[in-house]
Amino acid sequence: MSSAQIEIQLIASLVAVACAIPGTFLVLRKMAMISDAISHSILPGIVIGFFITHDLNSPLLILLAAFTGIITVVLVEYIQKTGLVKEDTAIGLVFPALFSIGVIMIAKNANDVHLDVDAVLLGELAFAPFDRLIIGGTDVGPKSLWIIGMILLITISLLIAFFKELKVSTFDKGLAASLGFSPAIIHYGLMSVSSVTTVGAFDAVGAILVVALMIAPAATAYLLTTDLKKMLALSIGFGIFSAVFGYWVAHWLDASIAGSITTVLGLVFLLVYLFAPSKGVIAVMYREKQQRKEVSLLTFLLHLKNHDEISERHVKHLNEHINWQKVRSRSVLDLALKNNMIDIENQIVSLTKKGDEFTSKAIDYIITNRDAQIEDMKDDFFLFRG
Amino acid sequence: MRFLLSQEFVDIKEYIELVFTDYTLRTITLGTAILGAVTGMLGSFAVLRKQSLLGDAISHAALPGIAIAFLITGAKDTNTLLLGALVSGLIGTFWIRGIVTKTHLKSDTALGLILSLFFGFGMLLLTFIQKQPNANQAGLDKYLFGQAATLVESDVWTMAIVTGICLLVMLTFWKEFKILLFDADYTKTLGFNTKTIDILITSFIVLAIVLGLQTVGVVLMSAMLLAPAAAARQWTNSLSVMVLLAAIFGAFSGVFGTAISASQNNLSTGPVIVLVASVFVAFSFIFSPSRGLLFKQIRFIKNRRDLELHKTLAFMYNIAETHEDISHPHAIKLLNNFQGYTRSTLQKLVDKDYVKIDGNMWSLTERGFETASNLYTKQSTEDE
Repeated sequence: MSSAQIEIQLIASLVAVACAIPGTFLVLRKMAMISDAISHSILPGIVIGFFITHDLNSPLLILLAAFTGIITVVLVEYIQKTGLVKEDTAIGLVFPALFSIGVIMIAKNANDVHLDVDAVLLGELAFAPFDRLIIGGTDVGPKSLWIIGMILLITISLLIAFFKELKVSTFDKGLAASLGFSPAIIHYGLMSVSSVTTVGAFDAVGAILVVALMIAPAATAYLLTTDLKKMLALSIGFGIFSAVFGYWVAHWLDASIAGSITTVLGLVFLLVYLFAPSKGVIAVMYREKQQRKEVSLLTFLLHLKNHDEISERHVKHLNEHINWQKVRSRSVLDLALKNNMIDIENQIVSLTKKGDEFTSKAIDYIITNRDAQIEDMKDDFFLFRG
Repeated sequence: MRFLLSQEFVDIKEYIELVFTDYTLRTITLGTAILGAVTGMLGSFAVLRKQSLLGDAISHAALPGIAIAFLITGAKDTNTLLLGALVSGLIGTFWIRGIVTKTHLKSDTALGLILSLFFGFGMLLLTFIQKQPNANQAGLDKYLFGQAATLVESDVWTMAIVTGICLLVMLTFWKEFKILLFDADYTKTLGFNTKTIDILITSFIVLAIVLGLQTVGVVLMSAMLLAPAAAARQWTNSLSVMVLLAAIFGAFSGVFGTAISASQNNLSTGPVIVLVASVFVAFSFIFSPSRGLLFKQIRFIKNRRDLELHKTLAFMYNIAETHEDISHPHAIKLLNNFQGYTRSTLQKLVDKDYVKIDGNMWSLTERGFETASNLYTKQSTEDE
């Protein structure tokens, strides 16, 4: 590994961490799309800043761009408040307009501006190590490393200082307001941090891919935990992993580093989305199937309890009368037998003592509108789940 | 656009003539107009279904499809690439739906995820293609920002045919679309297959977005879907009128946007069209008679005036009440410490024959007294 490679991975990891922190809160506050809006609408800010400073890494440019990001948020909220359109429409109206202004400004001044829309949107991490910061004649490292490092430092200190406030206002706005934390200040604080991070990261990974680094690790982590601190830690972990692994994939494919980081993020999300222990798609589908079977079982047991006649309790009756498919009635019967809820004698089904007790309790809960407690009761009665 | 480089400014009449004679300009104008109309039409449904940002997500999600279609076929045929875009857009849409229904992640997270992940993957593929020893790959990135100038007549025909199909399907299933839009549960109880209708609408939205990729590009396509519909929404409460208006707004955005970008150097068509559409939205937000901000503000001020007039009247009533003769004159000065009183409200009260003014004195008329006493009882019953 050359030092340039190490530096690229370091920058990518720092960007990932700096994005993961505000990203977690954006995802929890259901404002994920705001980051997309900001990442597009900072373009005019960057262009104006560039006209003034002629330096893509100047602090003024970052400030101006972050300011445009906040203008976006304010505009979106203003349009939302008028109630003329639904909230998400407001986002969708504001950022393309601002982005178009940016693109037109670049196009009109294409001759004397060395600024490319592609560069702003997509970034090129591979060139980051060549733009070095030199203080007093000594080389102290790539400029973007310092910029993103500073932003990360500010983000982390703000996070530590206001963790409690952020947490409360994220999960219970009303409580936060009544405790005296101004929701507006926290909201705009978070928005400002997101704007600054987006701007700081845009020349490394590109504005749009900042969105991926903000949302994907947080969403992935959210599928695995419901603890805020764990979620933060996990999303930082996913971010760093994708940054480093993505770099090597890009190296191997000889393609865009930002693109490959996002692809790795996507694969990680896909894996977790499918296989997360309790919230993954497979787990959810398995649980749904189990629930469906158990509800069938309960229906069947209730039926048995209601009918003493032999004709109503014949095994075949399930197919004929209740209109269940063969396989389904077979599996329901098996489940009931395994749990010692029923006896089958000469094809006639009858409730066991345990089955009777279970059914009576279930009826009790159903009549008194406490259906949810059936779920707890299942743990006491079932040896095997559906 | 390049073909007008020599002319800094084209006057309107000359421009209109040019639209009919110049092949490129005619194609682009027609193409953007049709595109605007179809996106406006379908966008109305997206906006009303609160799926405004779906367009943004889909247009980004279409990018890897374009790249993969190119990788597989090696050809730059527009229709093949757009087919790829359609497939990957649909995959993105259904994944979003999967995330929202199967997990506890909210729709905004799902949209942002799919948008950025697919786009990033698309970028990876595009850069990968660029490094391939295949000279044919240049021009794929026009789908990022769109290049209306590359439209040819066959593209316009494709758009027209797709628009025709959209229109046909929309008219056939108008009733179903409408009822699903406003009351999904009721639709289900009526026995309609809501899933199929839903998929039908969504697929057509995806189709419209994919059509626009070549002209407006991935990044700005969502605005084409939203802006005309959001503007149209302000002028009407009827779905059919809204769809029609949105189509008209969309078409005009296309035509005007093309005209503006053609009359200037170095102006790409896509962003200009989006800006024109945004102007339509801003205009509608402000000047729509029933919902617009301007008239809302005027109504607000008028209501406040009315309230203040009532306040002044009630104050006068309170004074007059203490006297045996209700028309006993009082000094105007008495009202001065009261905020609701202005010269114009006083004049209004005179006009309504509630009050008589004689020099510096005012007195309540019989009618004024009666109105004020009713006003008072009304208020007091409302308070209780």
